[in-house]
Amino acid sequence: MKFGKRLKQQVQETLPDWRDKFLSYKELKKLVRLISSAPPFLNGSSEYGKSEAEFVRLLNSEIDKFNAFFMEQEEDFIIRHEALKQRIQKVIDTWGASASQPSEAEYKERMGKIRKDIVNLHGEMVLLENYSNINYTGLAKILKKYDKRTGGLLRLAFIQKVLEEPFFITDLVSKLVKQCENMIDSVFPAEEEEKENEGRETITVAGKGILRNAIAALMTMKEIRRGSSTYSHFSLPPLNLTESDLIPSFQLNSPISVAR
Amino acid sequence: MSSSFLVLPTTVVEKHPNLLFSFQVSLEREMMRNPASQQASPLSPGNRSVGPMFSSSSRFSNDMHVSSVSAQGRQSHNSPFISQSLRSREDFTPTHDSHSEVQSTEFIAYSDENKDLSWSVDSLLDFAENVPVQNSQVESSAGVFASEDHANRTNWQEWADQLISVDDDLEPHWSDILNDVNKTDSRQKELKPSPNISVQQPPIHQHQTAHSGEVCAVANPLSPAPPTKPRMRWTPELHEAFVEAVSQLGGSERATPKGVLKHMNVESLTIYHVKSHLQKYRTARYKPESSCGTSERKMSPVEEIKSLDLKASMGITEALRMQMEVQKRLHEQLEIQRNLQLRIEEQGRYLQEMFEKQRKREDDKSKTPSSSLDDPSLLQAKLEQSSTNNKLVASELDIVKTSNESALPEESSPSISRKQKAPEERNDLVLDQIEEESSPAPTKRPRRDESAELSTGAASN
Repeated sequence: MKFGKRLKQQVQETLPDWRDKFLSYKELKKLVRLISSAPPFLNGSSEYGKSEAEFVRLLNSEIDKFNAFFMEQEEDFIIRHEALKQRIQKVIDTWGASASQPSEAEYKERMGKIRKDIVNLHGEMVLLENYSNINYTGLAKILKKYDKRTGGLLRLAFIQKVLEEPFFITDLVSKLVKQCENMIDSVFPAEEEEKENEGRETITVAGKGILRNAIAALMTMKEIRRGSSTYSHFSLPPLNLTESDLIPSFQLNSPISVAR
Repeated sequence: MSSSFLVLPTTVVEKHPNLLFSFQVSLEREMMRNPASQQASPLSPGNRSVGPMFSSSSRFSNDMHVSSVSAQGRQSHNSPFISQSLRSREDFTPTHDSHSEVQSTEFIAYSDENKDLSWSVDSLLDFAENVPVQNSQVESSAGVFASEDHANRTNWQEWADQLISVDDDLEPHWSDILNDVNKTDSRQKELKPSPNISVQQPPIHQHQTAHSGEVCAVANPLSPAPPTKPRMRWTPELHEAFVEAVSQLGGSERATPKGVLKHMNVESLTIYHVKSHLQKYRTARYKPESSCGTSERKMSPVEEIKSLDLKASMGITEALRMQMEVQKRLHEQLEIQRNLQLRIEEQGRYLQEMFEKQRKREDDKSKTPSSSLDDPSLLQAKLEQSSTNNKLVASELDIVKTSNESALPEESSPSISRKQKAPEERNDLVLDQIEEESSPAPTKRPRRDESAELSTGAASN
């Protein structure tokens, strides 16, 4: 149940539009329980077969859901990314140093906005990667549970298939993420690195925005990968966020109760 | 124990059709319903120009393209077949009687085509997973597998084990068993489409994924009928072509979907795709334009900070920088995690294959089950090794990352690609370690010659 809880937390913390796009882990677990409690299949035992079919069907529809959502988001990112590039170019051309009517104030202001947008786009893309990953993890876990409970052999082959699904292949998003980073670095040269690690108090992060989600995602990932009782050769090793972080310790406000 | 694995598939199939139908039904249905799909799909593999690989006629071939195209430089798996077979759709209804015969054959057909996939891996790995560490329990679980209590599941495993792992290069003798089963299948005619599939396989293997404008389409899962709204996977290159077309046609407001579609001239791109994409495009451009227009409204620093979710008395720049740092971190971790996951699955598969080969060697050498008890422990040790190696990989990557932390941001890309290379090397090291037998005490393997054989087998692999 640990993963289930973590997943639930993630879903709560996530961007509002994404809430219903995550893995229906609980639902799948119910099915697994149903399958394992159904009479071990005799010839033509419909109960067992039915719940098993239901399980596979749900898995597949979940994967379709991930794919659809993922590709939709990916398309948006591509568009926004390109739009940002155009904006940057336009600002440089219009108010930049070598422009026809250079204006440092205008330049700075518009670039400021662009910078914010880049950072937010970057954040959303990373969150999509996280989305992909956490759903994959959930699938792997539920398949493992299935195999364990039913003695079946579903896991390995199914996972192989999942590895090839569009939602898992995040190469493009990853590339765009790096491009965003480069964009930021080239347009906004590396800032002064004063007040780096000294005296960093805990910073409270409120709201439900992207930064909060990113932090929540990191923490969740760490939690999920903490040593578990069912550690096996298929388990991920514990997440090791090194101590010498540039990032100060964050703390999240208690989650806002979802009164929807 | 080894003898139990030689149970003929037919008997198993007859006994336990239910377990299989979930994997077979949709497959069979697809094949029956979409014989035309086989003709449609050859178009895509042949199309090497800037054109999306897209086939709307059936989700079967769609999946095939999706899987192969989206492999993106990864080895093109043949798992589209498995993917299709594993997927059951909404119209999924179990029909037990008719399927008992068909399942085995169809599955065989797929595994015949499926060079990379070895589903024996599943059964074996599952077996391995169920084998606890201590030797005493190993014996009991081995006994369990042979016992009547688990006869059902064991048989299914055996069946799956035998039937699915057909790899012509590695497992030539399995095809004999398969051929036997084939003969017993009365509905062999339905297998006719499969030769087409195998023909299409080679072209797909030529990695077209590198081409710009590569698009793969997935059939809309919600429509059981021939999909009307297939999903297109856009790429930056394709989008560039789109933007080019739009600007040629007078801008996003004036351009029409039809005009854009025609101008882009990309095969299998439908007007529906263009329409929705154009809509998104307009929205994306409109917002920043308007916000630029109203730039006079200067937000107070407090508002800015609030909008950045940071309650701290820091400048906007600082806040953004920090947000970026966190996001970068998350991104790094996700990449590492993903690579690990891939590695893990790969190792699992590999170990399965090794185990399978080992067992096969055992069967060839002697029919006595004398060596059976050692196999689990052997495999278990190897699995432990691999998990240790996974930890090592993770920690190694962390170390690499830490040392890179002080590096300039521009190096982030090469460092990450280096990190991604590390698992590859690590994987090879894993194999070496397994072969070299440098593992600690827990499992004393009396049969050194066995492991030596295994290493030679692995080396030749």
